[in-house]
Amino acid sequence: MDARKACVLANYDAGTFDQYWEGSLLRSNETIATVHRNTALPMAAIGILDQLNLYLGAPYVSTHSTYPNGGKFAGANGFQDFYIGLKYRVFQKKMKQDNTLAGFLNVGFSAPMTNYLSDYMPYSIGFGAPELSYRGVLQYELSKGPYIRAAAAYLWRGYTEAERDYYYNNGSYYTPWMDVPSAWNFEAVIGSWFLNKTLKVELAYNGLRSLSGDDIRPYNAPQPTNMVHWDRMGLSAQYFIEKVKGLSVLAYHTRVINGRNAAKISNFGGGVTYQFNYLKSKNK
Amino acid sequence: MLKSKAFILAIATASLVACKKDLPTHLAYDSYDYSGTDENGGDWTPILLSSGEEVSLSPPTSATSATYLAEIEDVKKKQEQMTDKDREQVNYWTNNSVNRWNEIALELVAKYNLIPGPNEDGTYTLPNPLEPSGPSIFPFSHPPYAVRALAYLSVAQFDGLISAWHYKYTYNRLAPYMNDAGVASAYPKNNIPSYPSDGAAVASASRAILTVMFPLEADYLAEVESEHLRSLILSGSNVQSDIEAGRVIGEYVAGIALTRASTDGMKYAQTNKAVSDSIKAAAFERFGWQWENLELPVRPVGLTPLFGMVRMWNIDNVEDVRPTAPPAFDSPEFLADVEILKNYADNMTDEYRRIANFWQDGLGTYTPPGHWNTIAKELIVKNKMNPLRTARVYAYLNMAMMDAGISCWDAKYYYHYPRPIQLIEGFETIAGTPNFPSYTSGHSVFSAAGAEVLAYIFPSEATTLRGWAEEAAISRVYGGIHWTFDATIGTEQGRKVAGYTLDIAAVDGSE
Repeated sequence: MDARKACVLANYDAGTFDQYWEGSLLRSNETIATVHRNTALPMAAIGILDQLNLYLGAPYVSTHSTYPNGGKFAGANGFQDFYIGLKYRVFQKKMKQDNTLAGFLNVGFSAPMTNYLSDYMPYSIGFGAPELSYRGVLQYELSKGPYIRAAAAYLWRGYTEAERDYYYNNGSYYTPWMDVPSAWNFEAVIGSWFLNKTLKVELAYNGLRSLSGDDIRPYNAPQPTNMVHWDRMGLSAQYFIEKVKGLSVLAYHTRVINGRNAAKISNFGGGVTYQFNYLKSKNK
Repeated sequence: MLKSKAFILAIATASLVACKKDLPTHLAYDSYDYSGTDENGGDWTPILLSSGEEVSLSPPTSATSATYLAEIEDVKKKQEQMTDKDREQVNYWTNNSVNRWNEIALELVAKYNLIPGPNEDGTYTLPNPLEPSGPSIFPFSHPPYAVRALAYLSVAQFDGLISAWHYKYTYNRLAPYMNDAGVASAYPKNNIPSYPSDGAAVASASRAILTVMFPLEADYLAEVESEHLRSLILSGSNVQSDIEAGRVIGEYVAGIALTRASTDGMKYAQTNKAVSDSIKAAAFERFGWQWENLELPVRPVGLTPLFGMVRMWNIDNVEDVRPTAPPAFDSPEFLADVEILKNYADNMTDEYRRIANFWQDGLGTYTPPGHWNTIAKELIVKNKMNPLRTARVYAYLNMAMMDAGISCWDAKYYYHYPRPIQLIEGFETIAGTPNFPSYTSGHSVFSAAGAEVLAYIFPSEATTLRGWAEEAAISRVYGGIHWTFDATIGTEQGRKVAGYTLDIAAVDGSE
């Protein structure tokens, strides 16, 4: 996004799961029945320089189980983790036939905004620890519209504080602090522009691999120390409404297809983005 | 652009290197000078032994004999060959290994405190001690199981150390480092005789008890025992014959304790459905109510309905400490409690939530009795207790808490009182509702009994300890899984139960 421009996004995401991987065993559990996890995400992107954008986000998450369920647990809700990130376009090259190759580096930081309890899984609204992410992105776009994108990120995750001073993680721990495993995150996207570059459609793979952690124990609740892996497929579309300059709507569906100590969650989401000049353009 | 890359790299490196927290896996403490040696400890009244002398132990060779001198040389040789891992072990065990064996027990409790899940067809398979590796892993170390394991462990340790103290001061053979200046002592020196080895008595008794309580851990426990025994030599505390003598005592007291355990009625505590249904029907007949399990699929039998009939340590008849009946559903007291519970649920504060979680000690943890053992451990170290005094604390603490559990379970299945989720339409909780009746609260009875014992032994901490017990009790109400009268009456019940144990502690000869 160019300098002097800003973009706001309002997104709503509805996720549900009735199966999860306990270690590598896919199972259901009537104690929690079907778990709903809904997220409202207001986000903003601000073009500081043409090649440097700032991102801000503040998701509100709410969770609950469907009735009937065997556990009768209360769900949870609240503002989760604020996010601040910088995305830097390292290079952008015109290739033959006007195709483009671009590379980005992205550094992000998130941390809990509220005193939510991470040690209340599967209802906790987040993992309750700071995260620093370092992401590299490469994108190749044909002038006709199709593009591919690959990204890899290292997610450093800190510690979360439980409200108890003993827990078991393949052995005793006499502390409220739980080590949330750091992880790799991978993304591969194939997409294309249609309708005179007003419609963008993407098929994406997204994967997470924790670098340490324990397995959920049999018929026991997960905890933030778990080693979480998942592979997720997603389909999304974004349409830029020509009549209202800067306005777009988007919709997506994602589905976790494989995992370890993870929910087999399926999400539907949609949102609206609006881009505008927050400063007058120089050359107009 | 280069600059920004360097900046990013700097943040990256800093964030990875910094912020590494040290997460303790056991209570961190160094060996210390004991606040007393308790020379007459061998005369204290044991729990199961008739006296410290009941175990027969032949006299050691003299400190000037060739046999002993050869043993001393062996200690020196092993000390010279010590590796870093050996040193770590010596530091880990400290000169009060009773605490470490208690932690090992707590860790096993947490490891095995997993409730069996349903089978594909909705049935449940209960753990079977004859087939510990499954289909359902044995044991499920729920609070009654845990407190019983801790009680037998602690009683065996205490009796073993009374016996060890008896022979120490009968035979008076000092520690290797006292007999030969060439032997290094890893721990503060003392003049407590070292034959028989108190550490070895504790190690062998603990390994033997825990192996029966956690049969799948037999190999692990044997390995831990041998590491412990080795560290007794490496630390300069004992020669091999001290250790052999300590093991004789350890095996003996473990045998006595396990004999009691095999006949205390625990094997009948988890009943079949027919017995469970008859207990439920009897309560309905008496009171017009009955607790129901509301899990999906429904568990056909509650947790250990006959734990209330397990033989108590210090109370002859469990009915002597049975509380009065809980309120009827149409009583003002009950109706007021419904409002209290709804109010907590609707207006949960950070502080109530913290308290509910702090004392929850639920599935996968060391249970509430485990929590009180951890509290005891900190006070023991703070007061620099020797191993004998330490074992005494755990023995009375865990006997009182086991009696508390038995009394609580007697009330639970006699009254068979429903949980809040059963009686309040649409009620949701922040703690997991357990698979047994509500009245009285296990946390309340365990905690009050535990706090009373610790308050007796550590009077300067009494107010704090009793405050914690009350907080643990009310935490279950904040969690939404107990009525306030479950907690308040349970607290009274726990105090009363502990009194019986304290009457015995008062005359055991240690004061």
